[in-house]
Amino acid sequence: MSPEAHSAPRSLAEALRARDDASLAALLRSRPDLITPVPTDLTQLATRAGTRASVLRALERLDRFALQTAEALAVAPDPASYDTLLGLMAGDAGDETVARALPQAVATLREQALVWGDDDRLRLVRTARELLAPSPQHPSPTGLGPTVQEATSGMSPGRIQEIVTTAGLPSTHDSVSAVAALTGLFTHRKKMAKLLAGAPEAAREVLSRLVWGPPYGQVTADPAAHLRWLLDRGLLLPTAPGTVVLPREVALHLREGRAHRAPEPLPPAVAPAATHSPQVVDATAAGQAYTALATVEELLKDWDEGGPAVLRAGGLSVRDLKRTAVALDVSEPVAAFWAELAYAAGLIASDGEADERYAATPAYDEWLELPPAERWARLARAWLAATRTPGLVGGRDAKDRTLSALGPGLDRSAAPEVRHRVLSLLAALPQGAAPDTESVLARLRWERPLRGAQRDGARDDDLRSRLARWTLSEAESLGVTGRGALSSQGRALLGAPAATGAPATPGADSAEPTGPGDKLPVHHHRAPERLVPLSPAEQGVAAAAAARLLAPLLPEPLDHVLLQADLTAVAPGPLRRPLADMLGVLADVESKGGATVYRFTPASVRRALDAGRTAADLHAFLAEHSRTPVPQPLAYLIDDVARRHGHLRVGAASAYVRCDDDALLNEILADKRAAALRLRRLAPTVLAAPSDPATLLEGLRAMGYAPAAESAEGDVLITRAHAHRTAPRTAPEPVPDGPPPPDATLLTAAIRAIRAGDLAATTPRKPVGEPLAGGELPRTSAAETLATMQAAVLTGDSVWIGYVNAEGAASQRVIAPIRVEGGFVTAYDHTADEVRTFPLHRITGVAELADD
Amino acid sequence: MPRVNGPLIVQSDKTLLLEVDHERADDCRRAIAPFAELERAPEHIHTYRVTPLGLWNARAAGHDAEQVVDALVQYSRYPVPHALLVDIAETMDRYGRLTLTKHPAHGLVLTTTDRPVLEEVLKSKRIAPLVGARLDPDTVAVHPSERGQIKQTLLKLGWPAEDLAGYVDGEAHPIELLEDGWTLRPYQKQAVENFWHGGSGVVVLPCGAGKTLVGAGSMAQAKSTTLILVTNTVSARQWKHELVKRTSLTEDEIGEYSGTRKEIRPVTIATYQVLTTKRKGVYPHLELFDSRDWGLIVYDEVHLLPAPVFKFTADLQARRRLGLTATLVREDGRESDVFSLIGPKRFDAPWKEIEAQGYIAPADCVEVRVNLTDSERLAYATAETEEKYRFCATTETKRKVTEAIVRRFAGQQILVIGQYIDQLDELGEHLNAPVIKGETSNAQREKLFDAFREGEISVLVVSKVANFSIDLPEATVAIQVSGTFGSRQEEAQRLGRVLRPKADGHQAHFYSVVARDTIDQDFAAHRQRFLAEQGYAYRIVDADEILAES
Repeated sequence: MSPEAHSAPRSLAEALRARDDASLAALLRSRPDLITPVPTDLTQLATRAGTRASVLRALERLDRFALQTAEALAVAPDPASYDTLLGLMAGDAGDETVARALPQAVATLREQALVWGDDDRLRLVRTARELLAPSPQHPSPTGLGPTVQEATSGMSPGRIQEIVTTAGLPSTHDSVSAVAALTGLFTHRKKMAKLLAGAPEAAREVLSRLVWGPPYGQVTADPAAHLRWLLDRGLLLPTAPGTVVLPREVALHLREGRAHRAPEPLPPAVAPAATHSPQVVDATAAGQAYTALATVEELLKDWDEGGPAVLRAGGLSVRDLKRTAVALDVSEPVAAFWAELAYAAGLIASDGEADERYAATPAYDEWLELPPAERWARLARAWLAATRTPGLVGGRDAKDRTLSALGPGLDRSAAPEVRHRVLSLLAALPQGAAPDTESVLARLRWERPLRGAQRDGARDDDLRSRLARWTLSEAESLGVTGRGALSSQGRALLGAPAATGAPATPGADSAEPTGPGDKLPVHHHRAPERLVPLSPAEQGVAAAAAARLLAPLLPEPLDHVLLQADLTAVAPGPLRRPLADMLGVLADVESKGGATVYRFTPASVRRALDAGRTAADLHAFLAEHSRTPVPQPLAYLIDDVARRHGHLRVGAASAYVRCDDDALLNEILADKRAAALRLRRLAPTVLAAPSDPATLLEGLRAMGYAPAAESAEGDVLITRAHAHRTAPRTAPEPVPDGPPPPDATLLTAAIRAIRAGDLAATTPRKPVGEPLAGGELPRTSAAETLATMQAAVLTGDSVWIGYVNAEGAASQRVIAPIRVEGGFVTAYDHTADEVRTFPLHRITGVAELADD
Repeated sequence: MPRVNGPLIVQSDKTLLLEVDHERADDCRRAIAPFAELERAPEHIHTYRVTPLGLWNARAAGHDAEQVVDALVQYSRYPVPHALLVDIAETMDRYGRLTLTKHPAHGLVLTTTDRPVLEEVLKSKRIAPLVGARLDPDTVAVHPSERGQIKQTLLKLGWPAEDLAGYVDGEAHPIELLEDGWTLRPYQKQAVENFWHGGSGVVVLPCGAGKTLVGAGSMAQAKSTTLILVTNTVSARQWKHELVKRTSLTEDEIGEYSGTRKEIRPVTIATYQVLTTKRKGVYPHLELFDSRDWGLIVYDEVHLLPAPVFKFTADLQARRRLGLTATLVREDGRESDVFSLIGPKRFDAPWKEIEAQGYIAPADCVEVRVNLTDSERLAYATAETEEKYRFCATTETKRKVTEAIVRRFAGQQILVIGQYIDQLDELGEHLNAPVIKGETSNAQREKLFDAFREGEISVLVVSKVANFSIDLPEATVAIQVSGTFGSRQEEAQRLGRVLRPKADGHQAHFYSVVARDTIDQDFAAHRQRFLAEQGYAYRIVDADEILAES
């Protein structure tokens, strides 16, 4: 922008310095790793932008054409002019499309600070160059070999002169100019054509085999004539014994200047596989959205009274997933998707109890209260942003552990971005158009090519392709798409403008740079061709908008069912909640989908009666909600079940009183003192009590009766003190108060140790330096220690040392050194009563014993 | 709200709910009938099920996935889940990838249009012994004797083969329909046509809808020697009688191959029982299949086809096969064997529809619940498990109720059907009616049937021997006092007894007498479910009502 900045920058830092704020912001936005942490100045920023990790990251995020451009720059001279680059990309013939797309690609590279310098001197940052330039270990995707200069660097001057001469050039006095002359010849199209015209047919064939790479070939020690012809003229140069390479300049000549066999300047179009009417798409998506809600509710209902246990490593066990899949009537991967979706939306979580289980969160209850469209929006929003990828469930991680649903190891940070990108691609299609999956994958691969990956063959296994496939299928399950095409509500969810029906213009035709004159990547050159992921606030707005679009498409809840004589009820659409809840109790669900089929069975009717309904309630309920007369067999069924319901009564009592004389029982019941016993009359001759038989007996005796206890068989129990026994038990181990008394050997040893320790502790010693506090190890310098030891050897004195053993335990010892050599002191150890060797470096210090 | 108001609701379990009162219901029914099996047809909402077999049936009948998807999308009230449509297309696509054809040089060959499929099936251990040399990458020879086996196995592997290997014509024999004073009903004609066009297959018609005539019509098409397999001797006689009456065949041209007679004639009627008789580990009557160059084989009551007959049928794949049945429901679940060995369903008409056309009589189905007496209840509670059903099914009260019903319909032709001979004998005694049971000789049976037909006897007590294929045109009331546990198809057969159109337009009545609160009631519920699903809903009344009336 500022003209004075146009004095050619000499480094990336200078180039960055010349950029305006907007363009720096663009750089930092596309390479956010550069500001974590925030660099102190531009020099630091430039340094960081040149680090291998950062450059790799940036390269990985380039689209295929930008990457191809960078690759071309890596094989071009450094610096290279824009025209050179254009030549490499578009070839001698000058591919129009490439020429049009190139400025954009260069602008991208500049914006990303991978390329700097003005158009006369484009420079690829060094790290990128190293990463992309061809080397024998890492063949370049361009398939080009080293330059003549590089390939001849180890060659003898004599041989170079020979080649130059054979190639028909005048011989020169030094190798450098000879190589330059050869390079000049190889890059001169006409002269080169003349030279090659004289080549034998077989030689040309060899060249054509090597031209698109890999440029290396094998030759025998005695090459055939046509190979010799090539070798003699430097058209093949030896790299290692038996290996030759086609120099870059020769290859470029044969390729008519092109660095890439197939430059891909334009993103592959996403091809529609089928087009449905937008109404059909929206309706299908809405139907699926409704199914999604129903499925999540069903899942949670299934888990309502205690969900499956959480595995110790986290997640659902395979068995629980299977069970859930059966309950939901879906396949296991699909069940995993729904569970993960509910988890991502915060509707389920581990309850965190000791016996950990999954359970619905309080948020679930709130969610249930929302209108259906908003419930869907919550799910869809959670899905869009989630990094968890249910598609991985059932696979294995790097350590060969099974990845379980809701478990760890399912997060893939690329997921939200791929999801968003895939949906954006769908959004760019005309309304109602369902894309061909392969073309979506191809587009994604163009936008983010895998570096070094095979261009063909098994390439669908990379994570992004898998994520994209999962996105498409999950979007369909969730009702973001319908019949493969993005629905209006899905579009709104992305924050994309409602499609006009015409295809959105691919690429950024409108605002792309018009020529090489664009010196700097300036922010406004980048048209907002892509939908950018929304901020959380915007997401909220978008989700609300999507919910508004969805709401009218969802089927209106019904308040009636059709009852049939085969004891089924068909709800020809979703039911209002109270009705659905009641029917869910009264009948078993037999089939789900757009409608619900309920079947009445004796068991289900009994369930309703157990829930406190009466037969009359049920008749009234059915009559009210059935659009058809209640069939006679159904009415009969309810009455028949009700007739038997509650016929048998079950209660709890722990003791009873039985007496053939009703009057006596009447008397007991009437007695006020019996109130505490809470007796209840079950039959004229039986009273039941909630207290245990012993208490009851006591109570009745206290009231002056003479009850007898009864056994289970009805015999009178004779009360006598009966002996109570435990199961077999071992006697307790004695727990002595102290240790066992020591024997003589132990005592001798102990005493010796105690004496020696005492000697060490109490022997008066000469103060060395500062007087030592009691128990503290002596400390002396290493030199002093050595000197004292040597003196002690000479004098035969004992000394007092501090010693740290190999385990790090410090001790004090009194030793009589015998010799000192090789860093070891051999001495008689008074403490241990033996001769030992102490490494000098373990001796913390030494003190002479006080003379006395 | 852009709600598509169609009559069809597609459920996630691949059932289709059709609202019958909807104005487009008829069109919709016609559109989905080729690929969906009618599972339940109660009064308001009919349930169809889409199964792989059904979809392959549709493929065999020349429908493609697009038609199926169109039908669903066009009539569906709610959007059809995309996954379901994809699944349908994929399933249908599996049919016809493999075809069995006749190769001029190599005989029977299995060819494929999709090489990986052939590779996949050839890897199966069950296929390997059935095939011969690999003739080229897409073709493999099949032993001609394994034509049925391989079809059965391929179906189990999920790659049903289309059998285009054709049929042998068999020994020609002139057969004509004698349509004097009667004609094939339109649906019978349609059934014959569909069968003949398809080559082999099954025709599903309700009891009383004239399946024998479909058989006769097909024979008149084939004009060749025919082997007819039926369930029992009475049924065999019935067939013979009918064929003599309705076709140009004479008594002498029709042979009976049964326990008593072993005649082999241009048209031979054999019973399943004689075919499956085993002596010293071999089936001695199997040579019947090879005794003539049959041009057509007719299987009556296909849903009862005994397992050994399936095995023989596997060897008869070069002959045209016609299966006749009232229901494809097999209690043993071998529907897929019927599909692969006899052929796909070629024609199907629901009961109610034929009833609506006036070809079968409407019926009033009533379940009568009787209470066990207190002493019976105690005895029932203490009975051994295997005795329980017998005990409650033969309760004393049932007899009284049966008598009451018989009194109520005095003068009409009444059948009393039961399972337990003691009970039937007792009933016969009380009702003063003859009893037909297993030990009754065939001659005696026919005599009694004739008398019943003529109206000389108005009440007949029959055991389960009369379940199948006997023709009692004038029975207007059937009383079922006990049955074979919960057999659904038996119930259908019994109801069929009374569904024949009545000369005087009487309404048919079907009574099922059931002991309350016992397993009899549970079995009855199971048996009746099939009928309720066919639109024949039961009324349930208490025995007291019946007893009070009389």
